[in-house]
Amino acid sequence: MLNYVIRRLLIMVPTLFVISLLVYVIIDLPPGDCVTSQIDELLSRGDPDALRRADELRHLYGLDQDLLIRYFRWIGGVFRWDFGLSCQDTVPVRDLIGERLALTMVMESCTILFIWTVSFIIGVYAATHQYQLGDYVASFIGFIGLAVPNFLLALVLLYVGKVYFGLSIGGLMDPEFIDKPFSWGKFWSVAQHLVIPVIVIGTSGTAGMIRRLRANLLDELQKQYVVTGRAKGLPPLKLLIKYPLRHAINPFVADIGHLLPEVISGSVIVSVVLSLPTTGPMLLGALKTQDVNLAATFLLFVAVLTVIGMLVSDLLLAALDPRIRFGATSEK
Amino acid sequence: MSSADLRYPRQTLWADYIRAAIGTLLCGLPLLLVEVNRWVELILGAGFILFGAFFVRTALRQRTRYVLGPDTLCADGPAGSLVEWNRLDRLKLSYFSTKRDRSGGWMQLAIGSTGARTLKVDSALEGFYDIVERAAQAAETNGLELSVATRANLRSMGISVAGQEETA
Repeated sequence: MLNYVIRRLLIMVPTLFVISLLVYVIIDLPPGDCVTSQIDELLSRGDPDALRRADELRHLYGLDQDLLIRYFRWIGGVFRWDFGLSCQDTVPVRDLIGERLALTMVMESCTILFIWTVSFIIGVYAATHQYQLGDYVASFIGFIGLAVPNFLLALVLLYVGKVYFGLSIGGLMDPEFIDKPFSWGKFWSVAQHLVIPVIVIGTSGTAGMIRRLRANLLDELQKQYVVTGRAKGLPPLKLLIKYPLRHAINPFVADIGHLLPEVISGSVIVSVVLSLPTTGPMLLGALKTQDVNLAATFLLFVAVLTVIGMLVSDLLLAALDPRIRFGATSEK
Repeated sequence: MSSADLRYPRQTLWADYIRAAIGTLLCGLPLLLVEVNRWVELILGAGFILFGAFFVRTALRQRTRYVLGPDTLCADGPAGSLVEWNRLDRLKLSYFSTKRDRSGGWMQLAIGSTGARTLKVDSALEGFYDIVERAAQAAETNGLELSVATRANLRSMGISVAGQEETA
């Protein structure tokens, strides 16, 4: 296992390096830079010093330097938790992302827990009650979840909450806690506001997981060894948990790695719709204004989380089911 | 049956040394040369320790010779162990691969006899097949229950254990 962990960790390093370089270069590719829009505004106001101001800002943000030099300065700063200056109000990226990153991680973690818990329970129920009312209801909810876009569900819930219950669903905390230090009141407020975003973002992932778990478990339940176990009088719950569920759960574990980036990218538009103070809306703004440092930092975090998610899922799979796949060749 | 002296090939050991060195440098150099944030320092420190442990394990492997005999498997080295086939009570054969399609991987055999330390050997070891075959025979004789993964991996090597045919 140590050998496996070492090899996987060594693969992670160049992967992250290439991702960060590609992200940085691609964000910088379009013509212009984050100063362009600010200068256009100054020029339209007839400011005579606009061009001089542009040079000053470009020097301040390091935009007058070569792209590769800027990249290496930025990636070198990551070790010091210094991601450079953001073009938004000329503040360090570190100060901008602090609470947003923490709130995003809390929200995404809750969403993933929601997806696993709900899909596991419903998936197992649907598979063990095939072609019964519960299975049809679960399948129907699953299809609805897959078909309805997250942002539409968010809009519907916003409308229903406001019109029928008089609730303001937007945001992740009550206004009095915004920009305030951590307190139990703030914690409780965040917990209350998390429910709707978690349901909205988690619905499509849950639906997909239910379908996969149901299909995998049904495949296992129809195998000869389950029939034999049943014929020999094994208790149904023991028969389910001992082998079929353990086999069916492998693709479930393998999905951990994919789930994280899916949830994060899927939550961007939902965060805009629900006015959530997470990284999504800020990333969107940074990409639109070509704020390379800010956008690249967010995307680097997404890449790190994805790679860690993949590592965790692969380690769990290696521990749960270290079987050779037939057709695959092993080296001596 | 005569005894066989088995060792890890030099090529495999060098590849592991290179991996350990690259990892140690990647984690250690930023710690030495750059002013690092506390959390990043923790992550890099953990990586440094892990790669260091891998280096030590590779060195131990280099200094260990495995003697496969009719009654025992002896790991003769600094962290050696002795497996007595007639007292075998642990056998796990795992397959690892870093590729998405799980091809090009390697096997790891973990065996142990009552009261002795578990011995782990990788498929890179010379004579790995002979060890697995002998361990499977011992498992069959001792009536040891094997996991589904172990049985599948044994089958992929063309080794079957009577009374433990795959049912899944």
